[in-house]
Amino acid sequence: MSGYRMSCNNTVTHLQVSSVGQAKQEPVHLLPCEIEHNGPAKVSEFFTSTTKDHKQEKTVSFRGRGLKGQEIALPQGYTGLVLKEINKPGSDQEDRTVRASSVFDSLTYWNLETPPNSDDPVVMAMDWPELADAIHGPVAD
Amino acid sequence: MDLSPFEANNSVSCRLVSQIPDVCRTEDCCLGIDEAGRGPVLGPMVYGICFCPVSKKEELKDSKVADSKTLSEEERENLFQKLDEAKSYVGWALQILSPNTISTSMLQRTKYNLNALSHDTAIDLIQYALDSGVQLKEVFVDTVGPAEKYEQKLSQRFPGIDVTVRPKADSLFPIVSAASICAKVARDRVVKGWNFTEDLGEVDTDYGSGYPNDPKTKAWLLKYLDPVFGYPQFVRFSWSTAQTLMDSKAVTVHWDDDEEAGEKAAQRQNNRSMLSYFSAAVGGGDQSAPHQTHRFFTERKLKSVDAL
Amino acid sequence: MAGKKKRTPNLQNDSWVVVAADSVINTKKHDSDPTFVRLRNPATDGASLYLLGSGDTQLYEVKAFEEDFHSWFVGQIVNRDGRLLFVTPMDPLYLILPYLIKSGNEGKFQPVHQVVMDEEFPACSRLLSCTRAQASLHHIAEEKEVGSQKFYRYSQERTMNWLKKKVERIVVALKKKNISVGEGVKSSTYVRAQIKSEDQEDDYLRYAHGLISEYICEDLSKAFLKHLGLPELTSPKETEPPSKKRKLSDKPVEAGEDYTKFNSADFARKPPKKMTAAQKSLAKVDKSGMKTMSSFFSPKVKAEKK
Repeated sequence: MSGYRMSCNNTVTHLQVSSVGQAKQEPVHLLPCEIEHNGPAKVSEFFTSTTKDHKQEKTVSFRGRGLKGQEIALPQGYTGLVLKEINKPGSDQEDRTVRASSVFDSLTYWNLETPPNSDDPVVMAMDWPELADAIHGPVAD
Repeated sequence: MDLSPFEANNSVSCRLVSQIPDVCRTEDCCLGIDEAGRGPVLGPMVYGICFCPVSKKEELKDSKVADSKTLSEEERENLFQKLDEAKSYVGWALQILSPNTISTSMLQRTKYNLNALSHDTAIDLIQYALDSGVQLKEVFVDTVGPAEKYEQKLSQRFPGIDVTVRPKADSLFPIVSAASICAKVARDRVVKGWNFTEDLGEVDTDYGSGYPNDPKTKAWLLKYLDPVFGYPQFVRFSWSTAQTLMDSKAVTVHWDDDEEAGEKAAQRQNNRSMLSYFSAAVGGGDQSAPHQTHRFFTERKLKSVDAL
Repeated sequence: MAGKKKRTPNLQNDSWVVVAADSVINTKKHDSDPTFVRLRNPATDGASLYLLGSGDTQLYEVKAFEEDFHSWFVGQIVNRDGRLLFVTPMDPLYLILPYLIKSGNEGKFQPVHQVVMDEEFPACSRLLSCTRAQASLHHIAEEKEVGSQKFYRYSQERTMNWLKKKVERIVVALKKKNISVGEGVKSSTYVRAQIKSEDQEDDYLRYAHGLISEYICEDLSKAFLKHLGLPELTSPKETEPPSKKRKLSDKPVEAGEDYTKFNSADFARKPPKKMTAAQKSLAKVDKSGMKTMSSFFSPKVKAEKK
């Protein structure tokens, strides 16, 4: 493992910016479970169509478990991207490339049974860009 | 029986009620409780109460309401008609527990089993009758579980009411049989006309009895299994039949409250919380000295990344 | 039953959900594509992932929001990896600083490109093409110009002043975002308002210092703490004001005493092997105690944390 990590310090991963313009705006949902799957799913057929929208809270169920969620906007000045690796290289000595397959400007996160709340970690994590700006922004001479 | 309130949102529980006959507010009444659709893996479970003045018990008997299990669907519909015609002295109320309610309750973090759910529903319905002014004196309940304990529970909950809990009460007491008919008719209709909120196009409604051992039901469950979502909300996910099929044919899903070989999981979690506290630059390369991540980041579950 | 299956590793992951500053993707046409690179993390000395954008003129940091047991739906796709990667602009000086400090030990002025070199992280020289890198080196180094060439020598004094300005900025942001910085229970035990406000200012300073310490090495972090006039914390007991201590003793922390040693800064700095041993021994401890332990550290009992 460490050998692999050492060697890939020499390689970089290119982000194909031109792909962003072609990427589709898509709804994204953060689920409170790990789904052992990477690939297609009938999200709109099973999930979106059964989602109930109340005032501050959305409800749905997944695999028979009750979820409560809310949609949150991304921080100002930020864009959501789903990056996908293309032409995975055969060796770890070659550069890699990712392109944007989807873009989003808000996300819906779901808690298992708990009503969404401003203390939810993902909501708190959205503080980061503004704090990062304070830590990294230029200071006066 | 107007099912539209339930059909408008069949993912939640719904109460349907008849008019309360005036005579039930002035005369001593008896009330029967029964359920329909406890066993099936598909569709709702319906709890029904039926009530009438004690003085009208005989009339009820004459109308030949009998154990609904021995009746055909058509006969039940006819008897429900009769009950409806007797609405001057017979009232009813139903609680439809949607399959989604059953799934999410039974699979809740703090498990809510079907017996507790049933008992609470029965209690709510009796309370509804009392709140509506029905002069309850006798309550007859059909049960599948141990009768004495349940009878004790209800007697304590409703002092002054004579509670009788019996297995097969629907064949012993006409008022229970009437409740049973109401519940069964509602369940039959709901299952038959199930409105799939999922976007599944034409759904094959040949799902048989809904009992797990019915070959038709089994075939339907196989046909409509989705590898990611499992099933539409029409299916009770908490039934082992559904679980087993998903375990073998759908992708695995892990939740933070999954039962993993008990103690190990607890240990792992404790270790994890220790780790996240010290957050020793996990994965930050072998040569890195442990670095205590500031709580701003640990509280927000943010960490450095060392590779894409 | 579901849930009894073991988790299999997600080896084939090839997509990532990212929240990126708009500037990452708003590049000019002739710019080369942004690249993810691995560079030496100044706080851990290990590798971390960064991004160079706008033709290497802008540096970004990559941080992952990660909670266990999460996955994404993206459109009609399941993305098993439930992380959310934040790509935020980063000050390249933090990454250049360790190299200058190292060369500063020699005491001579040097061209910066001779200093910012790392066999293990060849991409580090690209940091110097960042717009803000060369232009702001004077914040951390003395500068000498000979002919057309510039020479630099690390200056701790300048660095301290630079970091101080950073802290001031951060404190403003913390207040604006209403981030709770208090070490203790927000308590009514502080009677005198004056003490309260002074104490709060120190809490803000210390918090901001903690944030900056994510980007500088430990020695510098300690020196900077001194520069800010804040005492170093070694164990929670010594540093809690008496009023806070009393407040804490109300909490059910029976097992607390056994674990305070893990809470000291010393413990966290022991080599990784020790850490593992400690974790192993922790795994064996009576679980009721551990439970108390986790509640002991939970964010709600912040007083315990340092």
